[in-house]
Amino acid sequence: MSAPRDRGRLWAVLALLVVLHFALRPRLGAPQIAPDFLLLALMLYAIRSRPGSAALAGFIVGLVGDAMVPARLGAGALAHTVVGYLASWGRAVFFPDNLFVNGVAIAVGAWARNAIQLLASGGGTGGLMVQLFVYAPLQALLTAVTGAVALVVFQRWLDIRLET
Amino acid sequence: MPSASDRSVFRRDNALFALCVVLSLVMLARPDWGGRVTGLIRGSVLRPFLSIQEWAESSRTARASLDELRSERDSAVHAAQFLHSLRAENERLRALLGLGQRLSTGFIPADVLHQALPTDGRTLLLSAGARDGVRQFDVVVAPAGLVGVVQTVGAGQSIAMTWAHPEFRASAFAQPGDVFGIVAPAVELAGTEHLLQLRGVAIRDSLPAGTLVLTSGLGGVFPPGIPVGTVIGPVTEETGWELVYLLRPAAYPGIGGQVLILRAGAPAGVPDAFTPERAP
Repeated sequence: MSAPRDRGRLWAVLALLVVLHFALRPRLGAPQIAPDFLLLALMLYAIRSRPGSAALAGFIVGLVGDAMVPARLGAGALAHTVVGYLASWGRAVFFPDNLFVNGVAIAVGAWARNAIQLLASGGGTGGLMVQLFVYAPLQALLTAVTGAVALVVFQRWLDIRLET
Repeated sequence: MPSASDRSVFRRDNALFALCVVLSLVMLARPDWGGRVTGLIRGSVLRPFLSIQEWAESSRTARASLDELRSERDSAVHAAQFLHSLRAENERLRALLGLGQRLSTGFIPADVLHQALPTDGRTLLLSAGARDGVRQFDVVVAPAGLVGVVQTVGAGQSIAMTWAHPEFRASAFAQPGDVFGIVAPAVELAGTEHLLQLRGVAIRDSLPAGTLVLTSGLGGVFPPGIPVGTVIGPVTEETGWELVYLLRPAAYPGIGGQVLILRAGAPAGVPDAFTPERAP
């Protein structure tokens, strides 16, 4: 299969996730724990790209998040940049093509994003613990499950050979 | 050992990462610079996507309304057999009738476009903007009470700063009206829920648990009489000349799907709208 065609399929999957984020996610209810399709798209991109590109993609996704929730501008950009960069390095260092490991990587990425963003936002308002240890893990878990489904459904498009 | 070209690629990756981190830190330090950029993003790239989300939110609301209608119909059939139950149900539904019907002042209804980020709830993206008549510092309320104040207005959307935002402050009084203070989000790292604090209460004053706290209208942003929360109790640490009370908020911004934006300049009917006995 040609590289441009591979690239096109990857972008098609990422575009689908972006549309799902805005069209499907609001219908799921429970906004605090519903899966984050934008972060999932970032993780799928990051684990297939160089760390620099992944960091830039993370910065752009974070900037978009900051535009929608400007509680503390820059916190989202910082969190997504770090997560994108580390996900790309992690893939280069130890991620095998294993569905479970990919799921865990997505979950850890989602939780780390929430943790970095909350801490960078500061303020220390009540509910930080419940955000970090109740809502963030639940959202990370649901995002990971959604990611695993996306990997299984689109594994040929994403050119991934998954071991189960 | 990595080759020279590999080292150059690593250096480029690290430089790109460092640049993104520095830009993020600059935005954290200078929110006004970032504000311009994010405003542009909201008004251009994000516009079609936010329209999709608005559509998704309203269709979810429509589906919920249909389910509600069906359950109400079933309830009505059941309740018709018992006149007393029907009357009680009728009264309850009347009491629950939208806040909008009781508000004599102008208001704009808006959907809350919740986002996936953990700080959603400190600010809310609302589906009404300048085109609908929303202006900066318009007050945002839910049927239960105060949610926040409009911070930024775009053409079709606006951003509200809620009471959960660390910089939120509002002047308030405790019923019956002899104790005043400033309401701010409670700062407690170990807390399990978002709570509020009523600060600046004089040492001589005491508030029993359950006392209702309302906006006082001082400062000119919030009209008087909007419920803010109820007193849970005093915070253990007293800070010199003042007492600090912990409040349970009247309305939680992270949960609700719809809010009302009160138009500035006509606050006369607001206190009555939140008084249950004045319900139609």
